[in-house]
Amino acid sequence: MADALFDRALELVMDAGQTLLENGGEVFRAQQTMEIMAASLGVRDFHVYVLTNGIFASAHLPGRDAVSLVRHVPTVSVHLGRVEAVNELSRELAAGRLGVVEAEARLNTARTLPRSTPQLEILACVVGAAGFAYLFGGTLADMPVAAVAGLLEALVCQQFARHGINRIFTDIVAAFCGTIWAIAVQTVVPAVNANAAIIGALMVLTPGVALTMGVRDILNGDYLSGSIRLLDALLIAGSIAGGVVLGWIMARGLGVA
Amino acid sequence: MPIWTHYFAHFMVAVIATISFGITFQMPRRHYLACGLTGAVGWMVYIFCVELFALSPAIATLVATLPLTGCARFFAIRHKAPVTIFLLPGIFPLVPGAGIYYTAYYFLQGEQELFASKGGETFKVALALALGIALVCSLPLPLPGRVDDEHRPPPS
Repeated sequence: MADALFDRALELVMDAGQTLLENGGEVFRAQQTMEIMAASLGVRDFHVYVLTNGIFASAHLPGRDAVSLVRHVPTVSVHLGRVEAVNELSRELAAGRLGVVEAEARLNTARTLPRSTPQLEILACVVGAAGFAYLFGGTLADMPVAAVAGLLEALVCQQFARHGINRIFTDIVAAFCGTIWAIAVQTVVPAVNANAAIIGALMVLTPGVALTMGVRDILNGDYLSGSIRLLDALLIAGSIAGGVVLGWIMARGLGVA
Repeated sequence: MPIWTHYFAHFMVAVIATISFGITFQMPRRHYLACGLTGAVGWMVYIFCVELFALSPAIATLVATLPLTGCARFFAIRHKAPVTIFLLPGIFPLVPGAGIYYTAYYFLQGEQELFASKGGETFKVALALALGIALVCSLPLPLPGRVDDEHRPPPS
């Protein structure tokens, strides 16, 4: 293979792995996909090690020095559409239906798949919060309260993410806002059950993703990545609990609860 | 409310809530229904276990995770998509959000015993969730010949 093409193929494989990790793909999926793609593109001696937040790879071309590549993936924001697209791409590469150039174009499309609008995401949080308030024993009166709490949390999450504020603080503030709001409504309208409304809204923040992916990483033998994710789940749960406690302390301080 | 309306309402709400979470994860549109069903199956089994069989939340979660993960894998094969797409949003109804809340709540109330029992229960539910996913995800594929893309051997 010509040197230039070899370099492009390597870049392509690294980019694909990075895209998977960034958008919520599991560690073993990134690793396996990269190996499959490298083999399909004719990259020999390809070795890759993937962690939750980094990719280390090396490859060797006969008559040339070994190449090593490192990618740092600091933040993950889940985009399942992109994960699926890269998956599809690797499947077609393995079937031999694509060359390097076409694959590059496809990967570019996958990486730039649009996110849904912020309004739609907020709407989804609102509906989700209201729905879970109902499932967790809330009445019809609790649902709108949970919906507004979910709205507050979604707004906090979006605004804080825009300013690059860390996840822990964001979760504490979001849980705090939801809690305070529900307690305030309960004070004014005693028919509302603050507990159900708060729980519904908290479901938006719960660490379901970190927990599930941590388990799956550990199952696949990626103990280090799994531990990182499970620690993440524990921290998120702790932050949510912290926000709730702060909310109740403030409500008590104001003498309403 | 008659009992079947109660469960029907739960089913519908679970579908809608799961799809909502799928939207925040940017799930492709063609998977909305499958993903909503996955979440609702898990929730219905959970609520049956808790309300009809009076099982503890941790055991109910374990029992519910099995069909849920099975569903996710079934849809993954049918739609030729990664199993994560259905598992991530589908698992949300079973994540112990209520447990986290009540643990924090009783901690603040100074109710040591309730705090300890809720905290322990939340931890157990999380473990049950993990165990359930682990059990089903570790099973070899039920139908030989239909290769899920996670288990496809790398081409040589």
